[in-house]
Amino acid sequence: MRRRDGELLLYWALPAVLGVWLSAFLLFPGFTRPMSPAMSADAVAGFYRDHVWRIRASMIVFNWFSVGLIPVLMLIVLQIRRMGHRTPILAYCMIGCAAAGPTLFLTADLFWMIAAFRPERDAGITQLLNDLGWITFTCGVPFLIAQSVFLALAIYLDRLERPVFQPWVAHFNLVVAAALVPAAFAGLALDGAVAWNGLLSFWLKNAAIAVWIAVMWLVLGRAMRQERAAEAPAV
Amino acid sequence: MSTTFDPPAEAAAAAPVDWDRASRDNVPGQPDIWLFVLFETLVFAGYFGFYLYNRPRHPGAYLAAQQELHLPLGIVETLTLLTSSLLIARSVEAARSQQWNTALRNAYATASCGVLFLTLKVIEWISEARAGNTPISNEFFSYYYFLTGLHLLHLLIGFAFLGVLVHRLRGPAARSREVIETCGVYWHTVDYLWVLIFALLYVVR
Amino acid sequence: MSSAQIAVERIELPADSPARRPLAKLAWHWRNNPKRELWLAWYAIVAFYQMFFIVFFLITRAQPPGKPWWNSTQVVQWFDQMHNGLLWGFAVIFLLGGMSAFSTALIAYSMRRMSVSPAFAYSYLIMYSLAAVPGMLLLCVALTAGALRPDRDPELIHAIFDLAFVSFVGTMGVFLIGSVIWMVAILLDKNRVFPKWFAYLNLCNALTEVVIAPACIFKRGVFSWNGQISWWLDMVVFGIYTGAFIGQLRTMILREDVGTGPLPDAAPRPAADAAVPAGAAA
Repeated sequence: MRRRDGELLLYWALPAVLGVWLSAFLLFPGFTRPMSPAMSADAVAGFYRDHVWRIRASMIVFNWFSVGLIPVLMLIVLQIRRMGHRTPILAYCMIGCAAAGPTLFLTADLFWMIAAFRPERDAGITQLLNDLGWITFTCGVPFLIAQSVFLALAIYLDRLERPVFQPWVAHFNLVVAAALVPAAFAGLALDGAVAWNGLLSFWLKNAAIAVWIAVMWLVLGRAMRQERAAEAPAV
Repeated sequence: MSTTFDPPAEAAAAAPVDWDRASRDNVPGQPDIWLFVLFETLVFAGYFGFYLYNRPRHPGAYLAAQQELHLPLGIVETLTLLTSSLLIARSVEAARSQQWNTALRNAYATASCGVLFLTLKVIEWISEARAGNTPISNEFFSYYYFLTGLHLLHLLIGFAFLGVLVHRLRGPAARSREVIETCGVYWHTVDYLWVLIFALLYVVR
Repeated sequence: MSSAQIAVERIELPADSPARRPLAKLAWHWRNNPKRELWLAWYAIVAFYQMFFIVFFLITRAQPPGKPWWNSTQVVQWFDQMHNGLLWGFAVIFLLGGMSAFSTALIAYSMRRMSVSPAFAYSYLIMYSLAAVPGMLLLCVALTAGALRPDRDPELIHAIFDLAFVSFVGTMGVFLIGSVIWMVAILLDKNRVFPKWFAYLNLCNALTEVVIAPACIFKRGVFSWNGQISWWLDMVVFGIYTGAFIGQLRTMILREDVGTGPLPDAAPRPAADAAVPAGAAA
């Protein structure tokens, strides 16, 4: 039986992390009404000047918690290790995604934070930093997509009699991956559904991520309970 | 996990039983190292090729820059490396006859020559830089610092190989003729690359 | 059990299986091949590198890179010419770039299969995973930002251009150390997962990564980011290296017995060689 102390602690920490994350999300004025890519440089500079404190506060909080999802991702990796695979390759793929995904989010935060650091800067530079932040945040989905695909593959290839995750979890992951696809194309449009403030690239993408976190958290909890029950001494 | 060197309980001070088997093979050292030698030679040939291709475009500038090099220092460095090659060849030879102490002494002497070369090279760089010849001063010096710098890196890796060599010579059960010869081959490669660089940068005008 | 004598057979469909059409064969392998995870990873790697080549070399023309000695006007022109290619090409990378994790995972697995400490595999896994962000995605983000607003101040566009290419070139140090880790693991390995010449090829690749470093300094000439030495010769070496490691991974998978001892050889050896003791340098 492998060591399990502390896993429940990591597991239950997630709702707290999410609570903080959500408040930072609502605090960042660029999200509450998603900023349009069509804004002019002066409008962007004005935005940063007007909301500078809310932006700085939300970015500071994001930076603290940007890696907050990783412990739960690692708990998922441990469940993948439990699955009926011949090799640990899919677990490694998952670890790889967990390393890269939050890094992209953190990078986006940094761009926005730098933009807010000197709002009196030349408007063109502020707009550039804002663009870099938004493109990184919106288009930076490759590892989120890959993560869901790897998890789905791991579940499909699980050959245990009683699989760690039910097949519907795999289908769900593929649906989430599909929902993230439009966001990859956000660089192509300055307005409309695919632009970084649009229905597909902002609302669908972020909703899909939120739903993924919630569902996977619940499913993970069930898998962890089953794991402990299976190894409990017979009464 | 077991360490790399796992002496069986009854290890004698002598070399493993089939010590001379390697001499029946055609190639000294691991055949694999020769692929490395070939590959590095090709890559360096590429670098030299670009140098020779670009040199005729500004012959005057290159020639003037070359005058800034200290030829005597270059000669001393070359002699140092040639000596080190001789020493390591002796070391490998001694190892083949299972004279471990001689082999070790020669290996340490090789390392000393390597350190001497390193010191001379750094001194040379500092003096060139003080004279105003930096990698960005002109085209010749960018090649000079690049080639000598890359060569120095090969030399530093050579120290790692020497470390492996010494390790293999000391531990009774670790002695492997193939690995010892491989280390020798690598060091010779470092030397021979230097001779080419020396000829190209210092001598050919 | 001498590894020199064990042959590993190819996993084949049973002769009487009705599944003969390609798609049915694929389905059979998906369900029954014990090495399917490894093959999945391997084919994904091949697909990834092909996609990478097509996107970077053909669609976006980000490789070979734009010239570092251009002035701002020329840079703006380049962005104009490549506008659609840049945006669509990098969208594909944003979509499929995560496939690179398969490559890192399979190579990390190869190190787990060796007799060396797992630390090698985990180091490599982390290094290459995190390198994807500054080493590939930052270029994609920067060039997308550049192409997004063609009417931006040319100096800013030039800065974006520099950001993209210097970041791409400047992160080679990570791949350098990764190659060295793989090399050391192979040289120390007793399970004969890879031939030693491949370790030395890793060294050649690592040295090539070093050669790119001057590109952070020089703006023209052979050492600039698209120079003959820092880019062209480098790409040749990298191309050879990539081809070699893809081939080696394939051989490894064919030989794989999912055990912990020395990896068996791929094909049965002739009887004469079977009498040779298994290597003097064990």
